[in-house]
Amino acid sequence: MRHFRLLAALCAAITVFTAAPARAALNVVTTVPDLAALTKAVGGEHVQVQALALSSQDPHFVDAKPNLALALNRADLLISIGLDLEIGWLPTLQVGARNPKIQVGGTGFLNASQFPRILEIPPGKVDRSQGDVHPGGNPHYLYDPRQALAVAKGITDRLVQLDAKNADAYRANLAKFTTELEQARAGWEKRLAGLKGAPVIAYHRTTAYLADWLGFETIAFLEPKPGIPPNPAHVAGVLAQGRQRKARMLLVESYYPDTTAKLVASKIPAPLVTIHGGTDFRAGETYIQHINEMVERMEKALAGQGS
Amino acid sequence: MSTVSRRPHGALIFVTSIVTLLSSSALAQEADAGTPDAGAAPEAPAELSPEELEEIQKALGSDAQEAQQNAPAGTASAPQSSPGGSGLSLPGIGNTSGTNFLDLSFILDVAAAGFSSKEPLQGGAHDPTRNGFNLQQLELSIGSVVDPYFRFDSNIVFSQFGVEIEEAYGTTLALPYNLQVRAGQFLTRFGRINPTHPHAWDFVDQPFAASRIFGGEGNRGLGTELSWLTPLPWYVELIGSLTDASGEATARSFLGSSGDRVLSPLDLQALGAVKQFFPLTDDLSLMWGLSAATGPNPTGYRNRTDIFGTDIYLRYRPITDGGNPTLITFTAEGYYRRRQVPDDVLTDFNTYAQAAWRFDQRWATALRYELGTPARGENGAEVTDPLDPDWTEDRQRISANVTFWPTEFSRLRLQGATDRVGWRESPDYSVFLALELVTGAHGAHAF
Repeated sequence: MRHFRLLAALCAAITVFTAAPARAALNVVTTVPDLAALTKAVGGEHVQVQALALSSQDPHFVDAKPNLALALNRADLLISIGLDLEIGWLPTLQVGARNPKIQVGGTGFLNASQFPRILEIPPGKVDRSQGDVHPGGNPHYLYDPRQALAVAKGITDRLVQLDAKNADAYRANLAKFTTELEQARAGWEKRLAGLKGAPVIAYHRTTAYLADWLGFETIAFLEPKPGIPPNPAHVAGVLAQGRQRKARMLLVESYYPDTTAKLVASKIPAPLVTIHGGTDFRAGETYIQHINEMVERMEKALAGQGS
Repeated sequence: MSTVSRRPHGALIFVTSIVTLLSSSALAQEADAGTPDAGAAPEAPAELSPEELEEIQKALGSDAQEAQQNAPAGTASAPQSSPGGSGLSLPGIGNTSGTNFLDLSFILDVAAAGFSSKEPLQGGAHDPTRNGFNLQQLELSIGSVVDPYFRFDSNIVFSQFGVEIEEAYGTTLALPYNLQVRAGQFLTRFGRINPTHPHAWDFVDQPFAASRIFGGEGNRGLGTELSWLTPLPWYVELIGSLTDASGEATARSFLGSSGDRVLSPLDLQALGAVKQFFPLTDDLSLMWGLSAATGPNPTGYRNRTDIFGTDIYLRYRPITDGGNPTLITFTAEGYYRRRQVPDDVLTDFNTYAQAAWRFDQRWATALRYELGTPARGENGAEVTDPLDPDWTEDRQRISANVTFWPTEFSRLRLQGATDRVGWRESPDYSVFLALELVTGAHGAHAF
């Protein structure tokens, strides 16, 4: 009898768990949490959103865990950053998901890199002697809220296409998000006006869009080439350059090791700014809050304080 | 579930509830397709009446007929030009125009090796086997999506004196009910190490269990595989496959090189496996597999070999702690083999357990222990194994290594091992220095 109860409980649990995720009209899975936050902003209550990578995680190197394939199996829409950012792990998950909707070319697959203005597209032939370069251009476009807005518009269009019934809600959400983001952006630009033309050092080649937006100049990277960890000779060179050009700050993503960055920052000296790699979507953070936090840290650094 | 009688049998309830679950989820799928929510999905929206659907079907039918009449007589001359492609364009990296029809990459594995023994017991086809320089393999891997329904993958291996089709198979992309079929020549999904290639290994050589049981190339063959991702809330995948049971290097516990003719489905190798995955936390995950394979062996009429295996893979990677490059994995696999031979049933046990620790973005170290017992007869006594007549005692091997990755595309590995071969007078020692280079399309890694 005890066994029977246990089994009954198990069955009930299984039923409850499998039945639960069916409320929202669309089940959306995004590769990185920034995309999840944008999708939630325009999708609102009509979408259920999940990100495959965590904001603390380097999006180049995500493990293709089978539970992620399970999430894709049940997804109506998969949104990726594209430009080969997820090339090392997403294809495995897509094939393993057994969901024709979210395969490349399906109505449920959206490569977000078609919406923003892509920077750093290599002019000629590339090979890997240049490090881990992205032949299609720099994929870190969501650090620039203007590009993020373009992506949000693209996501809205796809949501409308997949779920025409709630089209008005999606469009209204987008209008609201646009107003909020544009308002916030004006404030951010004012607060960081001092960055225009300022020399800045970064760890990885992630700052192209940030520099394009805020007008600072990235004079050097701690990585000698994208994806190649810093070596003493290169770091010494960066330090000399930083001193000579009087670098205003050193930017490093939270998912990179920061010992070298700390050392260089203290020797220049310049404040070290740790940028969160993405929105902490799981904790309920919004995209605007994420960028706001980044702006705060850079503002502090402009005033001479590290964070 | 309320309809079940009052004194139900536990197993019956479970089965009933599973069936209910499945049918309800299938129903839910159908219902989904019917609602306008599904929007752009290929299924018809609910607003269409049955008559309209019938009209659509009729129109499609006559279109198809017409297309058939217009088609050329021979099937051989089907598509004359590839869509969007003009002439021969070599794919690969740097091609950003979106016309990437083929992902092509080469993987080179070479090693310098030193053995204390004159005849080292290295069973794997990609293992270093002799003093001096060894070409472990040059693997050409080609993969691509064929059409909306199939994906194609192949691994062609060049050795110093020949070329071999290691794998070449198609995978379905759009079967309903979470089903997936692979067909062609492929490594079966028995256990954890068998379906993988040297690029994914934590050691220079493969565990001797694999070469002792399946052969130097691992268990693979021509055949077909059906797998099902169950609708349970955690990851449970069921796999069944039917493959060719011959080949000295791929199915030595089965027909091996005897070349017996296939007269009935019983002359093929059948495999069943269950894979389960548990994301214990964001940082720690566990994969657990159970596998069983059965097939004929050549020692007598209707004599069979059964192999049972279980494998666990524990992976710790603190992704919640940004900037921490640590990766610790633990893998263990056990194989129990049972072979019918004239007047006896032979059983033996093989296992390996390994731990790997990446302590820096570029550096890792790993340790492995292996054990293989001699074959025992039905009465428990050790008997002469027809496949490995020397194997009369336990064999144990301990290997340790250090790996350095300049980038994710190159790898240097220094490995030392001691092989405690029970039937030899003294232990064997070996040392390898291996280099791997990966060039071409960026492959996607399986978990």
